Parts: sequence; structure tokens; C-alpha cells
Amino acid sequence: MTVSARFPRRMAALIAGTLALGFLTVGAHAQDLTIQHSKGVTSVPAKPKKVLAFDLASLDTLNALGVEVAGVPTARFPEYLAKYGSDKYQKVGTLFEPDYEAVNAAEPDLIIVGGRSSARYADLAKIAPTVDLTVDPKDVMGSVKRNVQLLGRIFDRQAEADARLAKLETSMADLRQETAKAGKGLLVLTTGGKMSAYGPGSRFGILHGEFGVVPAVEGLATTNHGQAVTAEFILKTNPDWLFVIDRDVVVGRDGGAAKKVLENELVAQTTAWKKGQVVFLDPVNWYLTGGGITALQASADQIAKAVAKK
Amino acid sequence: MRSLLLALAVVVVLTLISLLIGAGDLSLSALLSPQDGDRSAQILVVSRIPRTVALVLAGMAMAVAGLLMQMLTQNRFVEPSTAGTVESASLGLLVVTLFAPDMPVFGKMLVATGFALAGTALFLRILRLVPLRSVLTVPLVGIMLGGIISAVTTFFAYRFDLMQSLNAWTTGDFSGVLRGRYELLWVTFALTLLAYLAADRLTLAGMGRDFATNLGLHCRSIVSFGLVIVSMVTATVVVTVGMMPFLGLIVPNVASMLVGDNMRRALPWVAVMGAGLVLVCDVAGRVVYYPYEVPIGTIMGIVGSALFLVLLLKGRTRLA
Repeated sequence: MTVSARFPRRMAALIAGTLALGFLTVGAHAQDLTIQHSKGVTSVPAKPKKVLAFDLASLDTLNALGVEVAGVPTARFPEYLAKYGSDKYQKVGTLFEPDYEAVNAAEPDLIIVGGRSSARYADLAKIAPTVDLTVDPKDVMGSVKRNVQLLGRIFDRQAEADARLAKLETSMADLRQETAKAGKGLLVLTTGGKMSAYGPGSRFGILHGEFGVVPAVEGLATTNHGQAVTAEFILKTNPDWLFVIDRDVVVGRDGGAAKKVLENELVAQTTAWKKGQVVFLDPVNWYLTGGGITALQASADQIAKAVAKK
Repeated sequence: MRSLLLALAVVVVLTLISLLIGAGDLSLSALLSPQDGDRSAQILVVSRIPRTVALVLAGMAMAVAGLLMQMLTQNRFVEPSTAGTVESASLGLLVVTLFAPDMPVFGKMLVATGFALAGTALFLRILRLVPLRSVLTVPLVGIMLGGIISAVTTFFAYRFDLMQSLNAWTTGDFSGVLRGRYELLWVTFALTLLAYLAADRLTLAGMGRDFATNLGLHCRSIVSFGLVIVSMVTATVVVTVGMMPFLGLIVPNVASMLVGDNMRRALPWVAVMGAGLVLVCDVAGRVVYYPYEVPIGTIMGIVGSALFLVLLLKGRTRLA
């Protein structure tokens, strides 16, 4: 072994040491907040200036709290977040694939991941303080509350955060009173001509858990892609309410595809279809920004409106 | 002949089982003495019969397509999914979805057929260029070609958020079959009949180019004819119900063990056994996780790979 062969390793160790020291001094900053999140504990500067949001739910909440972010992924934004599509906001990759070069060059004070981007936490955390605000499907409202309050704390918008949460909780309490007597409901997601059902505890379980819709079926699998079902199954289940998420709309294809799949002689026999109690949920709010404060409020309002009509 | 009738009887029994099993409530007694409010008759007509017909048609056609491909390439390991045909059809479907998502199903099928034809022709072209030292080279070339094509498909599907849709096409699944949603499969029935009519010529073509030409056969046109049938069948099945792996590989091989390589004699066997295998797998998929379903593509993958291994180990000399 010659010196030259060993050199890079020593150099690397030296650099690593310096970096570690650097992080230590940052960590000792007086105004830092210690944030507990699903991937651990991160020290975050109070009122960070440059924020990159890789989680659309958190982006929704930040937007609702009036906090400006610097960078967002390239994504299909719902209408109320449409402005983030403009060039004013730096594009830092996609939900699944951060553009690490761009993230690094942006020198952010805080990076927020969650849901689809959660898997990239470890890589992003090396670049800047990162928090993972993934919503726990087993405790949706609990984690949403925590996330909204957390963001309120970091950006010093606690009053707004509390007000928004209080409004949402009132809406949901009202909604639960209505749904309790509305009959049983089944949530179906359609994609590419196929259907899958989601029950309590699944990624869309909030429909039953928090919004109080009585499930029409027990024991549906809680896997990410739901439980593949047929028209016969829906007829047998015969729900009073059918809640539909048209995934193809989210990816911008085949508008009305869900209707085409569901409009058949068997589903037409169900109570839900006969009574016109089929609710096409806003797929963006459920599929992309689910867990954001605006999205949740809109979802609660949509179902409340549908149920109240009857 | 008698054993073929026996096999046919087994398939008829499977058909009846397939009609009686499903998530909805359907009872024989209700069918015989209909009462108000009972939906048995409706379920039978709207859901069960279409599904069973679709199963039989797709099973027959894919098995026959496998036999055709094995004749044309003179190789027992080739079928649409080991020759790039399926992957090409999927690519075609993706292209239609990207550029003309509202195109009617028949149009989608035609585009997919065009892609399947091009892909299979490319496969045959490569075969002519590659020195074939082992019988395994042929399917390996096909699998590699299919891999390249599906890599392209996957890339664009990923870029345009269509991964889930792509998965829905490529996994064989009959759960969406209802009256009005499978009728395109009758096209494959016509194609199967055509293949039967041309069976003798195809058998000759299967004996090799020189041999067939010596017997006065226009080899090129009969090969193209077979190719068109295989591509159309594959495209139709992919567009309507997705892909079933191994089907076109196993069934023709078993048939060849039973009755030899005369296509006119083997073809009815292939058709009957193809339908039977698909029925068994689909019924199994409906039963194991009742009232939910496991897609037939998954079941066929498990059953097919096991059967294929048995074939390889038992009949090594025949296959090779």
C-alpha cells in the first residue's frame, strides 16, 4: 500500500469530521426547535426562510396558514394550490424522485417530506434539516392534528393552525351526526377499468373512522392498493351510499372513466345507485393532498352536502 | 377421438362450475323457479355467462396462438410472451392511451395488433441473424427482446403516471368482464377457426423452410398469415382481459405429447385444454379469497410455472 492509495480515505475522514463539526454548531443554534416526527427527531430553525415541500398535504396546510415555500416538486396541483405550478416556485424534482442537485443548490433551511416522498427522507436529511410528516392511516386525525400544530409552531402561526383545526373538528362532529343515520357506505377506487374497495383502517379509512360513515363491509384488506372487487360484489354488498374515487382523473386521463366502470346493470341494482346516493369524491383531495387541512375540510364539506340533501 | 370427447366433457363441467361461482348470490333453485326480488337470473346473464364465455374464448385463442408460434419458429419454448409479442402489444396500448385515450376498444385493438406484428416480425428477423446453436437461444432472444420493449413501455408509463394502468393491462384479470365488455373476444374465435382451416399448411411450414418449399408451399406467405393471427389474438386478449403467462407454452407441449405435431389433429386438443386450464385457474382465483378475487394472471403464473417445470424434467428429450 502506498501513501497515494490511502490518501483519499484520510481526506474523506477529514472532510467528514469537519462536516460533523459544522452540523454540531448548527445544532447548537439558540432558536432551534426540536421536532419529533415519524422518522425521528430533527432540529429545525424557528421560522425557517427557505422551505422545500415534497409533501402535497403539508404544502396544502402551509398554504392555508399563509406560509410561503421556496420550492415544490413538479406535480399536478389541485386548483387551490395551482400557483405552485408557476416558475416563481423552484422545481425540485418529483414526488417520488427529488432532484438532489437542485435541492442542494437551493440551500434550504427546512425540507418537508411525507407520503410518497417519505422514502427519500434519509437522502434529503443529509442535505438539510428534514421532517417527515406522513399521515398514519391508523390515526389520521391524530397525525393531521399533530402535523398542523407542528407546522404552526415552526412558522409561528399557532393561532391560525388552531382556528383551522377547530373549524375542521366542528364540521366533522356535525358530519358524524348526519352519517350515523344515513346508512352504510362503501368506498371504491377505479383505475384502468378495474375497481378496488377500501374499508376502515385503509388509506381512505378516514371516511369511516373520522367522517363516521358506517362501513358496508367488514374486513377489507388495508393494503395500499385496496381490495380488488367486482360488480357482483358491490351488488351483494348493496351499500346505501357509494363513494367513488376516480384515480384516472388524478393522473389526467380518461375523465369520467369511473362512471363508465360503474354504470352497469349490476351496480344499477344497488340502493346507492337507485336512490342517487353515489358520491364522486374529489379525487385530488383524497388521492394527492389527503391529510392537508384544506383538502380535509373540503372532503368533510362535500360529504356533508351530499348527505344533507337526503 | 374418444379421449378428446372426454376432455371436452371435463371442460363442460368446468364451465358449469364457473357459472355457479362468484361473489353474487346465485342459486340453481332460484333460477328454476324465479321469484320476485331474486337477482339470480340477472347475475347469470349479465355477469356469469359473459365471464365464462370470455374465459373459454381467451383460453382457446392464447393456447392456439402458442401452438402457431411454436410451429413457425420450430421451437417448443416459444409463445407470445417469450417472443416480445405481448410486450409489443402493451406498448401499442400505451401509445393509444397517451395519444388517443378516447379511441373505441376496436381501434385500440388494431393499434395494439400493429405493434404486436411489428414486434414479432422483428423477433423473427433477429432469429435469422443470430446463429442458433441451442434450442434455448430462441426463447432467450425473445425474452430479451420483450425485456427491451417492456423497459421502453415502463419508462413512458412511469413518466406519465400510468404505472398502475399498465399493471392493470398486463395482469390477466377477468373481474371486469360483464355483458357488453368482452364481446371483442369473439374476434379471437374467428381467428382460431382460420388457423384450423390453414392447419395443414402451417404443419408443413413447421417442418422447415426448405422442406415446405420443396413440397410447393409458399412459405413466406403462410408464415406471415400465422404471424397476423398470433398478433391479432394477442392484441385482442391484452386489450380486453390482460395477459396470461405460460398458457401458450404448456398447452401446446402437452398436446404434442398426446397426439404429436400434426396441427390439424393437435389444434382441437390445444383449444379444449387451453379453455380448461384458464377455467380452472379463474375459478381457483375466485374461490381462494372469496368473496374477493385473485387475478388469473397471478394464479396462472403459479400453476403455469409448476407445470412447466414438470414438463421440463419429465419430457426433457421431447422438448429439446
